[in-house]
Amino acid sequence: MAHVHLEDGAFSLFWVIVWSIAALGLIWIAIYGLGRRGGLTTRKMAIAAMCVAIGFAIFQIEIPIPFVGAVHMNLTPLIGILVGPGLGSLCILIINIFSAAIGHGGWGMIGANTLVNLIEVVMGFYLYRLLRSTFKLGRFPSGFGAATTALVVSAFAVVAIVTVSGIQDSAQSAEGTLGNMLLLAAVNVVAAVIEGVVTGYIISFIGRVRPDLLPDHEHGLGRGDGKSTKEAIPDV
Amino acid sequence: MSRRSYSKHIPDFRLISHYAENGRSHIHGMNAWTKAALLGCVLALAIVLTGMYLLLLLYFLSLVYYVVARLPLKLLIGWYSLPVFFVVTLTLFFLFTEPGKELVSFSLFGTRVVITDAGVLLLAKLMVRALAVVTFSLALIMTTRFQDIGAIASRLLPSPLANMFLLSYRFTFETTDEVSDVLDAMHSRSGNLVRGITRQTRMFAGIFGLGFIHAFERGERIAKAMEARGFSGKFPEYSALARPSAGGYAMVAFGTACFALALYARYFDSSILGGM
Repeated sequence: MAHVHLEDGAFSLFWVIVWSIAALGLIWIAIYGLGRRGGLTTRKMAIAAMCVAIGFAIFQIEIPIPFVGAVHMNLTPLIGILVGPGLGSLCILIINIFSAAIGHGGWGMIGANTLVNLIEVVMGFYLYRLLRSTFKLGRFPSGFGAATTALVVSAFAVVAIVTVSGIQDSAQSAEGTLGNMLLLAAVNVVAAVIEGVVTGYIISFIGRVRPDLLPDHEHGLGRGDGKSTKEAIPDV
Repeated sequence: MSRRSYSKHIPDFRLISHYAENGRSHIHGMNAWTKAALLGCVLALAIVLTGMYLLLLLYFLSLVYYVVARLPLKLLIGWYSLPVFFVVTLTLFFLFTEPGKELVSFSLFGTRVVITDAGVLLLAKLMVRALAVVTFSLALIMTTRFQDIGAIASRLLPSPLANMFLLSYRFTFETTDEVSDVLDAMHSRSGNLVRGITRQTRMFAGIFGLGFIHAFERGERIAKAMEARGFSGKFPEYSALARPSAGGYAMVAFGTACFALALYARYFDSSILGGM
């Protein structure tokens, strides 16, 4: 798992409310932003829903890794790259609702978990765009770099959120909590690199098979796509 | 019924749906709003309660609810893996660093490692809290039909989110089967999934990439079909949910009263619950 989802009971009621309000505020901004840019068309909505469904299906698969055991992937940075940060934000909220229903992250933690995933979606999209259009890197290094960086940052975001909130019933100081969480973040960084490699390969694969599905800034940069940009999905 | 599941520790949505649509217990017949409100009460109590005995009682009640719904306990134990994993990874280091009375100590790479009673209690409390909510949550989705979940989602979520929720829920089964088919094909041709790391990740990336491409194509087809049928931005409700019964209101009122009491005990007067 490239990131740890927080379970119910880890935070006090105050922090559950704080993180929920923060996440809802950002989701509201995403919905408002999508509305201002011509609305959430039926096509965008259907594609985003399918991305949620496939993301959830992929999450159920264990990838056996020699000497590590097995990992599950959420591929949230990939969702961000493919559908953009606005639509991606809505996708991850729904993925978190599904996940909470089956115990993969708590109901009360949907806010905190959504904030962590928002970082992955938004950073994944913008870093990929930066690496592709500004640094002119290939699809694999761009996908790998964007996903790995987004997941590493999100791993440290978990550290920050837990350190600020504190664990319920723990007598540790903020420094003690930070020290413990940093050790956890180090493990997550390794998983982030694995997910980054997989994301890079997926981007390369999609680039070969259906380059028109990659963001509109991709057009003209890749190999032999030459399709219209008007159907590109990203909303920013 | 579930065709197959590639992970024993992740709940299978198709199996969950099977129980939800075909179950005949008293819990299945309970109003969906009542069940959702009770989940809210369990969640609130899991967050606010601090006494271990009270948390264990909450977990026990959730488990009773699950058993009364005639749901399989063996599956539940397997599905506990992920929440247990998350709680352990979050609190593992607290086990050794939480100030408290020493229980066990040992030497690791020349460093003395101590497990304290407060560390163990912290881990246990977080585990019981998480499992109480997970058990109730699984019981809820395994006893509530899709049309009722759809009715609740369309009431509680803004329209774009509700639409995405309903569509993605519906198609989770399709996509899971599709990915499973590709994995089956791979199993039948190569027999074993474990390969070198590079080949392994390339192989899975191909499968996942194909899944995303199909998802986009399916999304486009669905959008055209919806527009052709005059989709106006909101799905029609499958059926209006009835109001909770008097018994349902009573249960929710009791749960809310328990939460209010726990909240008062936590922040104002802990002696009200006898220090539990």
